[in-house]
This record gives sequence, C-alpha cells and structure tokens, in this order.
Amino acid sequence: MTALAFQTALARLIVEPDFRDAVRGEGASALPGPLTALEASRLVTIAHDRGLDMNRTLHKGFRLGKLRALLPLTCKLLMPSRLAGEVAAFWHDNPPASFSFLPEALEFCAFLEGRPLRSIYLAEVLAYERAVLELERARVGPAPPQSVRFRHDPVRLLGALAAGWRPRAVPARPCLLLGSKDGDAPVRWTLVDAVSPSGRYDRRHGASECGAKGSTA
Amino acid sequence: MRFPTPTLPKLGVGVAYQAPLAPLLAAAGPELDYVEVVPDILWTDLGRAAEPRYLDDRAGRRALEHAAAARPIVAHGIGLSIGSAGMFDTAHVDQVERWRRRLGFAWHSDHLAFHLAEHGDGSMNVGITLPLPRDRETVELLVPRIREVRQRVPVPFLLENNVYHFDIPECEMDEPTFLNRLCRESGCGLVLDLHNVYTNARNHGFDAAAMLAEMELEHVGEIHVAGGMELDGFYLDAHSDTIPDPVWALLEWILPRCPNVGGVTFELFGSWFESVGNARIRADLRRLRALWAAVLRPARRPAPRAVELA
Repeated sequence: MTALAFQTALARLIVEPDFRDAVRGEGASALPGPLTALEASRLVTIAHDRGLDMNRTLHKGFRLGKLRALLPLTCKLLMPSRLAGEVAAFWHDNPPASFSFLPEALEFCAFLEGRPLRSIYLAEVLAYERAVLELERARVGPAPPQSVRFRHDPVRLLGALAAGWRPRAVPARPCLLLGSKDGDAPVRWTLVDAVSPSGRYDRRHGASECGAKGSTA
Repeated sequence: MRFPTPTLPKLGVGVAYQAPLAPLLAAAGPELDYVEVVPDILWTDLGRAAEPRYLDDRAGRRALEHAAAARPIVAHGIGLSIGSAGMFDTAHVDQVERWRRRLGFAWHSDHLAFHLAEHGDGSMNVGITLPLPRDRETVELLVPRIREVRQRVPVPFLLENNVYHFDIPECEMDEPTFLNRLCRESGCGLVLDLHNVYTNARNHGFDAAAMLAEMELEHVGEIHVAGGMELDGFYLDAHSDTIPDPVWALLEWILPRCPNVGGVTFELFGSWFESVGNARIRADLRRLRALWAAVLRPARRPAPRAVELA
C-alpha cells in the first residue's frame, strides 16, 4: 500500500509546514515509508515546487474561511494578527479531520478557552458562539437548551461585533442568555438579568426576549 | 474491455447552485435550462460511526427547490474523494442515490482527485482537490470504484478533470491519454472543465487547444465554464468572474465536437455574485444558450475555428 503512504505524505506537505521544510532540507530521508523510489522522488520534487505553496495558501484559506463562518464574532474580536497566531498554534496540533468543520470549530473554542488571552470579552463571546453552534448543529432529536453567563451587556457587546466594530467600554451587566431552538425555527434567546448583589437571576422582572438568530443576539 | 459511452439527456445551459445566487436563478428566463447542485450541502454527515450517519437539511432542500423553480437538477459532488488510496466510501455513494431518487438527478458527477488521506488512526481532509499520478496503477484503483458507483446510482456518472498547481512528476501518461483510458475502461463520462484546462495551461505553459485535440470527446457528458483571477504569480480557478475570452474560444471549438454532451454549466462562487453583477452573468448565460442552440441545429452549426490563448 505504498500509494496510501504517498498520499498521506503529499497531504502533509500541504498541511504541515514543518514536514515540508524537513523534506526540502533532508530530501527523501525525511519521508516516512513505505514508499517506492519513484514516489519518494516525486514527493521531494513536489516539496520544492512553487505550486505546493499555492496549494497551502488555498488550504489555509479554505480552513480559515470555515472558522470565520462558524465563529464570526470570536474571529472579529481576536483581530487578524492575533487570530493568525492562535489559528497557527491550533492547527499545529490538530490536522484537519472533518469535512463539515463544525467539530473543528468546537475544538478551536476549547483550545482558545485554555489560552492566556488578554481580551476581557473573549470568554463571553466564545461561550455565546459555542452555544450557537450547539443549538444549530445537525443532530438527532431536539437541541439541548443553552445558558451563557455574561458579565458585560450582551446586547451591546454582541451587537458591536455583529456590526463589525471592536467593542469598547461595554458596561457591566451580569446576566444569563438562555438559548433554545425548536425544529427548523430560528434560535430564540432570552436575557435574564441578575439581581445584585447576591448574583441570583430574576426571570420574572429582568427577562426580555431576543428573537435574533445566530450571531446577532 | 471498453464500456459504452453514457447517454445523457440534452438539458442545455445550467448554473452551479449556491445560496447567494438565488436572485440570479429567480430572474433567469429561458437562458437557464437546469441547476447543478453540490449534493453534499443537502445533508450533514455525522461521521462513519454515527447512527444515523446522515441528517437531511430540509431547509436547504426547500431553498434549492425554490431556486431551481421546477428546472431539472443535476448533482456535482465534492465529498467522494474517489482517488483516496486507503478508503472508498460506499455509504456516501448510497446517500447520493437516496437524493437522486428524491430530486431526480439526470446524471451525477464528482472530482477526479483526492482530498482525504490517512493520518494516524483517522483521516485528514485537505479541503482542496489533489492530483493523482497518471499511472496504470491509478486507473486500476479507480475502475472498480467507478463501476461500483455506476451500479449503486443508476444514472450516468461523470468525473471532472482536475486543476493542479503542481503536477506529479514522471507520470506514465499525459492527461488526455489518462482521461481517455479511464473513461474507456470504466464506463464513466467526463465533466470537461474548460476553465481547469485553461488554468493548468496558463500555470504550466502548455497549449490547451492541443491538449483538447488529443481527447476522445465522445466521453464528454458535461462542460464546466467559469472565470478566475491572478494571485502570487498563479492563475486560479477561483470561480470569481464571468467567462474569459480564451475559455469562450475553447468552448466554441469543442462544443460541436462533443456528441454526447448533456449540458454546459457556469460556475461562480456566491461571494463574488454582487461584485460580478447579475447583468454580466445573465449576458454570459444568454451567449451560452445561443451557442448551445446553434450546436443543436446542425444546419447552422458554426464553423470550428482555431483557438488562441491570450
């Protein structure tokens, strides 16, 4: 089954820049077997081909495009430079496995949650978009309701990001966003304000309905 | 063994469906005969271990049927990865067949490439179509798989010639020889993507017309046309514009020479729809429709002319 090893190596040349650089530097000795001499020679030649770099650009564009589509507010909050660094660190240890990329988006959420990030809003935005994915992902049976705890006003915070702005000085507003989805209907969000100072949430007096879908709470 | 060339209905001119193109489809008149859909968007694949594995996208189906407005629908898949050495997913093929029964695809197709590769205990999805070595070994891998697809989905099956930014060195066959042999031995037809041919010719410096002249055109069941763009010294099959003049020239030369072609499909990514504009796209569709009509009327068939690439 040398064709199988050949295809794996070819895919890795595109996905893993460290592997590509090793093949460029060390030649066939950097290639795992079993490969025929012709297959090894082909891979070494391809590693030096400019077209390989174009394929890597297209691969990254495709993969990043999926993350941007599934986590638009998180990507907006991170800004391009920070996003590029985080995505590169995530991709280094996570080869692309899924065609739909929704599992990858959820794994990226978990990855970011473990990173030291300076944004005071990121945890809330991340939790909200993870809840959206859980509500909208295809599944057997109804989607489990989601609850997202906010420390800042979610309407102002998420509204700014959805409008394409960086959120600044968002006022404090301890609250919960409760999300639910019924069949093909849009996601419905209910905002429940906390009753200070105990931190309990008051459904009766602080609740308001947000009929927005997806990223525009 | 040589298999007969698949027989396709003469549908005419189609558009590759994407949700942002709905206004184009809604406004289109007789210049649009059919709609081509990527069937993979009609379901969510929860993975091989899941039961059920596939969940239907009912909203997506409704949107497609509304946009198609009773026009015939053909399928052009992206998920099969028929060239993957270590896997051949017959459950995916069966899922295409389920949707063929629902939507009545006149034919279906996928890409002559691979995007899934073994990696550790699982698989890796590169997300772009990667080239296969044009060797006898590859033909022997593909032929039984194509026969399996043809058995499971009882309408003509076509494979699309790939676009490639690097070529596999030292292949046993050139591209026309490889495509001719694969079609002859497997019974599959060809989605001849002229923009892929043009893109490869520009990036690798060969004569597109000379390549096409070497092909057995009775295998061509569908033709794809599109526009692209330059990036970092490469011309890309970006589906980002209307049809460039050199691709028109290739189409005008080849269409009268494809006796079994069922349709010509224009491809545009939805994200480019606004910038390209409805008017320019519909002008291309009308030109395609006029060419198609002229070719179907033998007495008025345009005289083939020499093809020149810009």
